[in-house]
Amino acid sequence: MSNNIFNGHRFVLLCRQHFVHNNKLLLFSSGAYVGVVFILLSFVQASEGLRPHDLDNFRGFLIGFVIVFGLLYVGYSFPGFRAKESTMNYLLVPASLMEKFVFELVSRIGGMLLLLPLLFWITFNLQGYFFTLFNEYPFDPIGIQQLVTIEMPNVDSVGWFILMITALSLLLFVVPFTGAAMFSKQPLIKTLFSVAVIIIFYSTVIYVVADPLGLNRYHPDPEEGMWLVPTSEHSAFRFFAITAVIANAVMLFVAYRKLKEREV
Amino acid sequence: MIDIKNLNFNYGNKRRPLFRELDCQINAGSIVGLLGKNGAGKTTLLKLMIGLLFPDGGTVNVNNYEPGKRQPAFLEDMFFVSEEFYLPGISIKNFIKANAGFYPRFDGALLQRLLKDFELPETESLQKLSYGQKKKFLISFALSTKCRLLVLDEPTNGLDIPSKSIFRRVLAGALDEDQLVIISTHQVKDVENLIDRIIMLENGQFIMQKDLYDISSLLHFSTSATAEGDDILYSEMVPGGYKVITSQSNGNMNSSVDIELLFNAILSGNEKLKSHVQ
Repeated sequence: MSNNIFNGHRFVLLCRQHFVHNNKLLLFSSGAYVGVVFILLSFVQASEGLRPHDLDNFRGFLIGFVIVFGLLYVGYSFPGFRAKESTMNYLLVPASLMEKFVFELVSRIGGMLLLLPLLFWITFNLQGYFFTLFNEYPFDPIGIQQLVTIEMPNVDSVGWFILMITALSLLLFVVPFTGAAMFSKQPLIKTLFSVAVIIIFYSTVIYVVADPLGLNRYHPDPEEGMWLVPTSEHSAFRFFAITAVIANAVMLFVAYRKLKEREV
Repeated sequence: MIDIKNLNFNYGNKRRPLFRELDCQINAGSIVGLLGKNGAGKTTLLKLMIGLLFPDGGTVNVNNYEPGKRQPAFLEDMFFVSEEFYLPGISIKNFIKANAGFYPRFDGALLQRLLKDFELPETESLQKLSYGQKKKFLISFALSTKCRLLVLDEPTNGLDIPSKSIFRRVLAGALDEDQLVIISTHQVKDVENLIDRIIMLENGQFIMQKDLYDISSLLHFSTSATAEGDDILYSEMVPGGYKVITSQSNGNMNSSVDIELLFNAILSGNEKLKSHVQ
């Protein structure tokens, strides 16, 4: 175990420690998620004359549930930081900073992005079949491939578009992940508040500065325009994709530094 | 083992420095008592030694590692039992399963023996144990890791009277020669016959760093009917007489060191005694 940066054996020990310490919590949380999904799907179906959910419903609910429950789960990353005593335990676990950081990132964001859609798919189909016991409507099951099937919009620059959507989706979870590394108490609420303050501040500054300067009357030739300023669909995708990738990298770096500089 | 040089530390810029130019060297193979009044900075010093706090200046070196870097090779050879601690709601068996693997020298048989000595019950959840029982479990686990540095912050707080005596017995019996134990406490009676070096902290300075053997060769601790006499360096009234400290050079038999009396004597600013000991 001489490698002080990353060691596979220590990483496995860290995973085992996490799951042994938290197995009940993880089990109850998964049960609560399945229960809430089942109840909400049933409630919506009942309110629509018991007509079974279709693929469009599946996609809409999937995105909604993964965002809401994903934010709740990721927003409480680094659970050891919630109290002084557990922070000491966490920081003194004989694993490297990189191992602790990677484990938290993989288990919170990676694990969540795998588990929540999978549990949703199972619950969606179970709920659909369950309702066929009480009415005459047939239920059309949704295949598991629908979890990864993406309908591409008819746009130019598909590569930049995919990168933009992926990076922006990741950013949605990376921001609360970083917030959880920064704030000890109520990290998700403080993160959402901070993001709101930052957005309002910059929107106000841009409005106050851009309007008097007449930037709204500036329309450069798309061929000769500045590289980063989006003047076409292609350049807009490129601009937002690059911005989101950089934002993700910066946020993850900040989270790593916060873990490294944590004192108790 | 532990080498502290010119250590400076303060909590934020507004307060006065807690430590200024501290120097200290502690070798392996001993049990060190870190003594001081409440708020003297004992816990802060321990946290600087194990990397939970970072020094503002100077260096802290433990086992040739810089604790603040929190490298695994350092952490797997160090265990800290804090005064206030957190234990997960899992069984003792699962706690061992989850945590023992991190410590290469972990001795499972020793842990079972210590759990038996402390009469700890099998439990479904560590959180169901009382504070004292949790502490006994944590102390047992710490000793079983066989880490070369064990740091115990107020270990006897919350222990009942029989457990305090068991604590002294197991600590004395479970250590190897390459281990160093640092015990921070203000209950000196609990560790009196255990420690072999004293470090006293007051106003951010070490006011004494001495082996008990050296102290006992310099000072004599006894009781007396009177507190008057040229050879008495310090005295304290107790029921039926006085506890006194005299010079050992008067041909007295070696006495065991009354750490509480010595602590009070040093803190009282007794220059005669200080110059005699230094």
